[in-house]
Amino acid sequence: MHFEMLCRPAATAVRYTLDRGESITCEVGAMVAMTTGLTVSTTSKSRGGGGGIVKGLKRMFSGENFFLNHFTSQEDQQTLVIAPTMMGDCRHHRLSGGTMIVQGSSWLASSGEIEIDTTWQGFTSALFSGESMFWVRCSGRGDLFLSSYGAIYAVPVSGQYTVDTGHIVAFEETLRYRIGKASPSLIGSFLGGEGLVCKFEGQGLLYCQSHNAPSLGKLLGPKLKPR
Amino acid sequence: MPSSLQFQIECRPDFSLLAVQLKQGEKIFAEPAAMASMSPQITLQAGLKGGALKSLGRMLGGESLIVNTFTATNGPGEILFAPGHLGDTHHYQLSGGAVLLQRGAYLASSEGVDVSAQWQGAKGFFSGEGLVLLKASGTGDLFFNSYGAILEIDVRDQFIVDSGYIVAFEDTLQYNIGLLPGLRGGGFKRLFFSGEGLVCRFSGEGRIWIQTRHLAPYLSWIHAFRPSSSS
Repeated sequence: MHFEMLCRPAATAVRYTLDRGESITCEVGAMVAMTTGLTVSTTSKSRGGGGGIVKGLKRMFSGENFFLNHFTSQEDQQTLVIAPTMMGDCRHHRLSGGTMIVQGSSWLASSGEIEIDTTWQGFTSALFSGESMFWVRCSGRGDLFLSSYGAIYAVPVSGQYTVDTGHIVAFEETLRYRIGKASPSLIGSFLGGEGLVCKFEGQGLLYCQSHNAPSLGKLLGPKLKPR
Repeated sequence: MPSSLQFQIECRPDFSLLAVQLKQGEKIFAEPAAMASMSPQITLQAGLKGGALKSLGRMLGGESLIVNTFTATNGPGEILFAPGHLGDTHHYQLSGGAVLLQRGAYLASSEGVDVSAQWQGAKGFFSGEGLVLLKASGTGDLFFNSYGAILEIDVRDQFIVDSGYIVAFEDTLQYNIGLLPGLRGGGFKRLFFSGEGLVCRFSGEGRIWIQTRHLAPYLSWIHAFRPSSSS
């Protein structure tokens, strides 16, 4: 399977070329275009609870399913073009036996023998701001495709590194993490996740995004009519 | 004899801006609110472009294609047009053929280009709504825009595109809109029409333009953040 990143960096799409028997799994809604030699099926995974209760916001993702479209090529040289929802970039990460924890809205696609576990709840016990985010645990061997809101940048952590939780795209499970306030002196409401950061420690790769989609959602949401 | 408009498309591909320089007396038609800025020689007339679009009103459920007319009345002048979305703009030279566009993709066109609506009907659509396509034909300049980037694809045989990502295509192509078995659309798509698994199958030979982002998934993403009315 070959892939090519198109239209970088703000409206990136990924184009795959698949031969007979090859397949790729993508988030629903990602399919932009394809040739006719591909068949599609849909699978679903139960999504881990979003954790916490923030006043005024429903628990959006608890109990809901995470749907995946699975494309299989029946012929050689078939094309599939996919794109994420938000304006931003895409990144390829080769998994060779390790595990990446990926922010749910940043998981775009994966192929090969990557196991996708959507019930990972590592962050939720500490957080009130898990409402808008869920996490996908990807392990095995294969190609993982990530998307970002804004630009995506890689940080090879060796020691310590602190990231606002909404800016995390994905990180290797080799890293230890702790959720806390950015600074003890930070004044402000704890509820809603303001000032909450993730402090990483150890060795591992971390992908971050320049913009914070959950923050944008929380900014816009209350201005819209209730559903 | 219609001559081509003088133009540049700037700030591509993400924040495209169309700059048009009109000669004295020259006109350009554009979707309302597309004008970003213009020089004082240009006069603007709002409203329907001519009688050819009379029948549109009923077809689009009461909505008609309203275009503004810009004329360089008092000398040569310049107008800058920006589409509503962050994205790219493309120029197409029409000379007798036709191009079909998604309704939101139309940005501007020159005199000599006729724009009408093509209703795709309710066959096979969940919500009973169809895909509204505009047809641009005649001779002159057509400008269309995208949300996200534009990918240009030459179809030789067959190609399938999710209906929300279609920007425009040449009418030499046959197209058929329907469900793709096994394909499920994004989470809340049924709330914001674009169809679940609704795709357009193209066949024949011709060029299509697709965009790499589309509004419905963004709206369904925001939907999750709306307050619950029971709170």
